[in-house]
Amino acid sequence: MTLKATLARKNAVVEQWNGEGRMIEFDDAAREKISELLQSEDRRGKLLRIQILGRGPDDFRYSLRFIPPAERTADDLSIESGGFEVVVDPESAPNLKGARVEFVENAYQSGFHLENPNPMFQDPLEQSVHEVLKHKINPGVAAHGGFVTLLEVRDHVAYVELGGGCQGCGLADITLKQGIDVMIREAVPEIQQVVDTTDHASGSNPYYQPAKGAPAPGSSPLARN
Amino acid sequence: MTDRLLLIMADETYRAGAFLAAAQELGISVTVGTSSPQVLSHANPDGFLALDFGDPAQSASTIEEFAQRTPLAAVLAAEDEGARLAAQAAEALGLRHHSAEGVRMALDKYETRQALTKAGFEQPWYRRLSLLEDPEGVAEGIKYPCVLKPINLAASRGVIRADDPAAFVAAFRRIHLMLRQSGEELASPWILVESYIPGDEIALEGLVSDGVLRQLAIFDKPDPLEGPFFEETIYVTPSRHPMELQHHLFETAARAAHALGLQDGPIHLEARVQDGNVWVLEVAPRSIGGLCGRSLRFSGGLSLEGLLIQHALGRAVEAIDREVRAAGVMMLPIPAAGVLRGVEGREAAERVPGIESLVISIPIGHPVVPLPEGNQYLGFLFARADIPSAVEAALRTAHSHLSFSIEAV
Repeated sequence: MTLKATLARKNAVVEQWNGEGRMIEFDDAAREKISELLQSEDRRGKLLRIQILGRGPDDFRYSLRFIPPAERTADDLSIESGGFEVVVDPESAPNLKGARVEFVENAYQSGFHLENPNPMFQDPLEQSVHEVLKHKINPGVAAHGGFVTLLEVRDHVAYVELGGGCQGCGLADITLKQGIDVMIREAVPEIQQVVDTTDHASGSNPYYQPAKGAPAPGSSPLARN
Repeated sequence: MTDRLLLIMADETYRAGAFLAAAQELGISVTVGTSSPQVLSHANPDGFLALDFGDPAQSASTIEEFAQRTPLAAVLAAEDEGARLAAQAAEALGLRHHSAEGVRMALDKYETRQALTKAGFEQPWYRRLSLLEDPEGVAEGIKYPCVLKPINLAASRGVIRADDPAAFVAAFRRIHLMLRQSGEELASPWILVESYIPGDEIALEGLVSDGVLRQLAIFDKPDPLEGPFFEETIYVTPSRHPMELQHHLFETAARAAHALGLQDGPIHLEARVQDGNVWVLEVAPRSIGGLCGRSLRFSGGLSLEGLLIQHALGRAVEAIDREVRAAGVMMLPIPAAGVLRGVEGREAAERVPGIESLVISIPIGHPVVPLPEGNQYLGFLFARADIPSAVEAALRTAHSHLSFSIEAV
């Protein structure tokens, strides 16, 4: 992307945020905890980067980490949040608008929690497929230790990834063709095919490893947004 | 309403994807019959059927009852495990399939030997021994070198060569322990012992229609299989053996299928060739196992699984031919027992000219067990080229790029 295009894209996102309220809010507990963490010697002067790494079965996968100012990039968006600075990359930004960072601490848990009102997918077709996975398919698959994540929909094909107990399972093909495919196509008739992009031999869950000659879906987990 | 196929598959199946994709391409509805409950079966009740492979008679009744409310046009088993049940169910429903008796005999290596003997085939010396036998007591009466094999296991599992009584006793005890640990001891408490037949090993993939065998492919196995274990590696088709020998193999396969009563369905015959003679090792009442079927491609890009489904549905398949190019597969052997921690060189292997794909079929972090106890390969390499020697070279070169990190446990 050229510098001119980068700036234009950044300005468009900033304008959109400014016009529609704050992009990311922090509750008092979160603000206090972040300020406290930034007092330590090794974090002093650092920025907080909030990033969407991809999508999980139920929600976006987030990263919150402190970075030195030198790691800020030209197209990052910056937010002053009362005592510390937050940076967000332009790919994550549209999906973080209106998000609220909370710090939860009780007898059972402790940590930051991100409440995000944005839908997982901007595309209505993708959101429909995601809803089927979230409410109808994943509860059943979870009973066998697995989960299914939508990566994207392209040309009426839903590309999914199987994780947990499904990955590497010899019966995953049966679950996909006889269960997942049938349920998605029944609930979302616009979908013609469901394709499993999981590398079942890998210990990780790579986004997509196409067979030779096979088309690959978008190169980024957020490419469509 | 579309035709519906009942596809019976083992829990460890390699072939679910290929069969289901082929059925989808042909517009065939599928009911999958497995021995364990399936995820999401509630959402597609006609798509799943729970079966007990250990009780074929009861499961055949279950299939008959199912077929009364959801008519079936064909029944197929993907592996040996469900083959008997598929044959019984097809027979009860009057669907195209090998006979149940033929499948029963073909799945039993001793019954196969007996049927072939009765049909006048030249046979190696053979003898069935009960697991209750004292191996030391019978070792002196065995003809050496010999091969010991469980009666009913596939893919060289438990097959061990013994050259003398001490090796025989060790092999017998090892197979006995293996059958006990895998729970097969009660189902088949026998070991078949037969003379070792030297020579090249070769395989014929065929499809029988109304008793007439059609050759789909002859595979050469260029790696020597001399024991003590018989791990399959490379299969290449077409064969480089003289045409006369290939014709002899085909005629032998046709006679063997007839002798066993395998009259309507796929067969996979394994044989040894020696001085122009063909010695039948086994005749499986199914198609080639594992992912090896991917090495076969037919007219219009049809897969082996697509061909088998069409045949089971009673459709005409006589005009469907295998492609003219040479093709091959290498089953990646497991060098040691342990836990698979990593695979190096995948990209280099896939870049070798002629290599079409590499599939690592055991996930990282999973245990690996070599032969004779193991029942899996690390994965499969597939190649195509103009001539068989180029296919073989591509497979060997690609394999040389791969290294597997296996942590001993």
